[in-house]
Amino acid sequence: MGIKFVFFSILLLMLSQLEARPISYSGGSTLMMISNQMQDSAYYHYSPTYKFSIGIQKVKHKYFNSSYSYLRFTYLLNRKNTKDSQRNLYFQSGISSDGMDNYFYGTHGDWETRRLFSGFGYKKTETKRQDYFEQYFQVGIAPYIGEYGDLHTWLMLKSKNNELIDNWDTYPVLKMFKGNALMEIGYSDSSKWDVHLMYRF
Amino acid sequence: MKIFYFLFLIIVSVSATAQDHAMHDMDAHGHEGHLHDTMVDGKFLEVDSQRFDTFVSNLKGKQVAIISVSGMVCDFCARGIEKTFRRDKSVLKVDVDLTGGKVLIAYSSEKNIDFKDIKMKIMSNGQNATDLQIIEF
Repeated sequence: MGIKFVFFSILLLMLSQLEARPISYSGGSTLMMISNQMQDSAYYHYSPTYKFSIGIQKVKHKYFNSSYSYLRFTYLLNRKNTKDSQRNLYFQSGISSDGMDNYFYGTHGDWETRRLFSGFGYKKTETKRQDYFEQYFQVGIAPYIGEYGDLHTWLMLKSKNNELIDNWDTYPVLKMFKGNALMEIGYSDSSKWDVHLMYRF
Repeated sequence: MKIFYFLFLIIVSVSATAQDHAMHDMDAHGHEGHLHDTMVDGKFLEVDSQRFDTFVSNLKGKQVAIISVSGMVCDFCARGIEKTFRRDKSVLKVDVDLTGGKVLIAYSSEKNIDFKDIKMKIMSNGQNATDLQIIEF
C-alpha cells in the first residue's frame, strides 16, 4: 500500500476515451481518423439526435490485409448527468461491405469529471475469415483544468486486448483537444502507435 | 489513407487558428470586478466573474440568461450547446463557463426568455438545464 499503489489507483480511475463521444449533439457531424496496430480507418458519423449516430467507416485491416467499409450505428443506452460528472453507456454495431456475414457489435462506456476519466469497451467482430473480440480499459487525469476555448490536455493509461494477438497491452496515451478538434496519441513497444484524431462540425 | 490524414490536419489547423482569433477578441474586453456576491432572484450568481464581465461588457439594454447545466463536464461536449443557441436568431451572444457549469446567453430586451425552450435546446445536446437566472442591463 505504498505510494506506487496510490499512484496506480489514481491512474486507473482515469483511463478510456478512444471511442468516447461516439455520438454528437443533434444535427452534428464527426470525422475521425484511427490508426493502430490492427487498422487504419476513416470514420464519418452524423447524429440526428444526441441518442444515436449513423456513419460510414472505411477500414484498412492490417492483420487480414484487406480493405472494406462499415455502415455503423451507435446508440446511447444510458446517460447520467450530474453537476460535476457525466456517465455514458453505448451500444455500437456495424455491417461490412464484405457481406452480411461480416459485422460487429459491442458496448462501451465512460464516466468523467473535469479532472478524471475512466472508460471501457468491448467489441465482437464476426468475419468470414475469423471471429474475434477486442476490449480495452482506459483511465485519465487532466493535469490542469482549462476553461472553455482553452487547449485541454489529458494524461491517460490504456490497457487493451485483441483476441487475434491475444495479449494485453498497457501504455500511456496523451489526449489534447481545443475547440472542435481532438487528438489522442498512445505508444507502446509491442503495439506501436495508437492514434485517434477527431473533428466535430 | 494518407490523404485523409493530410486533409484532417489542414481542417484542424484552420479551425484552431480561427478560434485563437476569436478568443483574442474576447480577451480584448476589460475586466470590471467580481460577481460572486451578486444575487439574482435570491440566489448567488455562481459564475466566473472575469468571464461574466467580459461577456456583458457591451450588452447595455440587453438581457442575459444564465443557465445552470448538469453533465457539461468538458469543452468538447459544450460545443454543441453553443452551436445550438447560435442557430437561434434571437440570440446575440453565447459563452460557456465550464467551472461554474453555466451557459451565458445574451438576448435583446424584447425577447421573452422561455426556460422550457432552453431546456429542450440543452437536452438536444445531451445535457440537462437545471436552473435559469435572468439579468437585465
